[in-house]
Amino acid sequence: MNIITALSITGILAAGGTILLIAGQFDLSVGSGTAFVALMFAIAAQSTGIIPATGVALLVGAGIGILNGFLVTVVGVNALITTPGTPAIFRGLTLSIGGASSVRINGFDWAIARPLFDIPMSAILFLCIAIIVAIVLARTVFGRTIYAIGANENAARLVGIRTKKTLFLGFVISGLCMALTGPVSASQLGSTSGTTGMGLELAVVTAIILGGTSLKGGTGSMFGTILGLLIVGVLNNGMTLMNINSTRQQVAAGTLLILAVSFDQIRQRFIRS
Amino acid sequence: MSDAAFLSVRGIRKSFGPVKVLHGVDLDLPRGSVTALLGENGAGKSTFVRILAGDHQPDGGTIAVDGTQTSFRTVAQSRDAGIRLIAQEIADAPTLTVAENIALGALPNRFGFVDRSAMRKMAQRALDALGADLPLDAPVSSLRSGERQIVEIARATAGDSRCLIFDEPTAALSDAETQRLFALIKRMQQSGVAILYITHRLDEVFAIADRVCVLRDGRVSLSAATTEVDQASVVTAMVGHAISAHHDRYSFAAMGATPLLEVERLGSSTFRDVDLSVAPGEIVGLYGKIGSGVPELAGALFGALPYEDGTVRLAGEMVKFRHPAEAIARGVGFLPADRASEGLLRPRSVAENLAAPSWRRLANGPMISRSTEARAFGNWHKVLKVRSRPDGSEGIATLSGGNQQKCCLAAGLRLAPSCCCWSSPRAASMSVPAGNLWRVARPCPAGARHSDGKLGLRGHYRSGDPGGRHGAGQGGCPPHPG
Repeated sequence: MNIITALSITGILAAGGTILLIAGQFDLSVGSGTAFVALMFAIAAQSTGIIPATGVALLVGAGIGILNGFLVTVVGVNALITTPGTPAIFRGLTLSIGGASSVRINGFDWAIARPLFDIPMSAILFLCIAIIVAIVLARTVFGRTIYAIGANENAARLVGIRTKKTLFLGFVISGLCMALTGPVSASQLGSTSGTTGMGLELAVVTAIILGGTSLKGGTGSMFGTILGLLIVGVLNNGMTLMNINSTRQQVAAGTLLILAVSFDQIRQRFIRS
Repeated sequence: MSDAAFLSVRGIRKSFGPVKVLHGVDLDLPRGSVTALLGENGAGKSTFVRILAGDHQPDGGTIAVDGTQTSFRTVAQSRDAGIRLIAQEIADAPTLTVAENIALGALPNRFGFVDRSAMRKMAQRALDALGADLPLDAPVSSLRSGERQIVEIARATAGDSRCLIFDEPTAALSDAETQRLFALIKRMQQSGVAILYITHRLDEVFAIADRVCVLRDGRVSLSAATTEVDQASVVTAMVGHAISAHHDRYSFAAMGATPLLEVERLGSSTFRDVDLSVAPGEIVGLYGKIGSGVPELAGALFGALPYEDGTVRLAGEMVKFRHPAEAIARGVGFLPADRASEGLLRPRSVAENLAAPSWRRLANGPMISRSTEARAFGNWHKVLKVRSRPDGSEGIATLSGGNQQKCCLAAGLRLAPSCCCWSSPRAASMSVPAGNLWRVARPCPAGARHSDGKLGLRGHYRSGDPGGRHGAGQGGCPPHPG
């Protein structure tokens, strides 16, 4: 359960990320998006309290998703450029608004409570999101259209799928995931700072690809992503227990991503032959 | 015969997953002769030539070159043996120039640097041999698809080839280009090259081939000299039974009926002033060479491509579809011209591909289940004789081209459209045999269908060939399986 708690932020973001990657898109703004949402949440919480602040977080997260979705589907900027571009903006905003020091949040203790079977709130939230996304992908028309767009966007349009609208929605879902992870991260740490969520996008993409979602789109599942998350989580946990320096952990994280992508390529070659 | 053969193939077998495509194919390709390879969709022709080209590995059987047994594990090994495949799907490097594309794979070089003047000479020679006049320094992406096909042929014939395999080379060519290709084939033949020629056009078979080999269901059903057979026996070998004249039984009851689809002075960047009228029960064939704008017209009617001028009326009502979804909602069915890039959801299952256009109708609220899709597919599985599992659970990519085409057709037909725009339903990797196609097209109230490819049995698609109900019986109105 500790691993799941540790994974809850990565996991919630990976749920939205799985939808996008199956559709052949990705969102590399999740790390700094989380930081920006957390900061806005913290600032709002100081003046208005937790409940209105949660509304602010949702608005900010949806806004980030709308911006990414607009740039990718309406303007037509490649997601490879858009989603590392917008986070540069949000990371900068986070640092300039919040300053270098961390912003404390008070009155948010109930969020780290363990309301059910001694399971922390964040883990419950993650499990709920994972189940919802799994059902959406496997059982709904929206899920089917996501797979179809990733499989062949052209053909998907010709069978009557509103491809741009669907992709836009995918980015908004990813933004809403950030709206959840911002407060979760703030609740876990009791504060937020400019370095919140650094390198998160790497862990998210690694977990999704390890879980069998192809970079090419059209295949993959939430169940696979959960397995990928567990691999990432167990490795991180192990490295921390072994007291491995965090800079070396970064080397490991990068290596794992490259391995995951390589496996994806090899698997595709295997399927083709 | 076999001692003179350049390439001798015995008992080639190949399966893709559970689907057996080839069950032991024997074939000899003698030097200096043209062998035509025919067969219906899904007969296994493309798979067979890909094995010869080293692109697929056979599960069993032997290949001998010059009497020596060999195996082609890679395309490069097949090339080294002098075998060149001119594939149906153009596989060029769009951003490279014509000269570079022709020389690709055998770039003349000096100390590792490309010898550009030698490359240009080589390319020019190859194009001259084809009587083609193409700009050597233009990127191939700027060419028409017929011209790109010529670049492909030039590449295959540029080097030292001993065996040429053409997979429906004339589908994208104009008549003049086709005649020049035939002249080249004759010259290659005289210089001792073994040629295997896949086509769906029987007239081509008798024009250039010495021998004809027919595949049916992955087996050779006919192998003979062209002088020993006639068209009827070739067709019988292809479909397995004699073709009766039942296509001609359709009555002309729809003549003079109120048009369902009326197109007036339609114009876009690729076509203009198109007038068209299709009555319920009528099948109108549109024919045009590549670049004539025919596929674009079909796309415009379906809302997939924009048009600027003119009007379209459906059942008397003005419509202008801005997205295929709007056309589908109004009961217009579509079959794209290019299956690979516009038709298939490649990594997805057969059933999902079939159900895709009707997901919303099959859905229960926002939810949809695999079993619903499997049931939807099961009904069509029998009607179209798709070679797959009855529940369509395997990947669409594991099916042969012809069976994929059937699924694309069925995907549109499931919507019970009132009007269909079909682009080249039998083109390219052929597809549904004409008889079956006729049977499924019939129950559609109206069909605007075009073929920019060449139909093997073109007579059946003559413009304004209307029909009404006809006597029940085989080949009659099939049930709409839902």
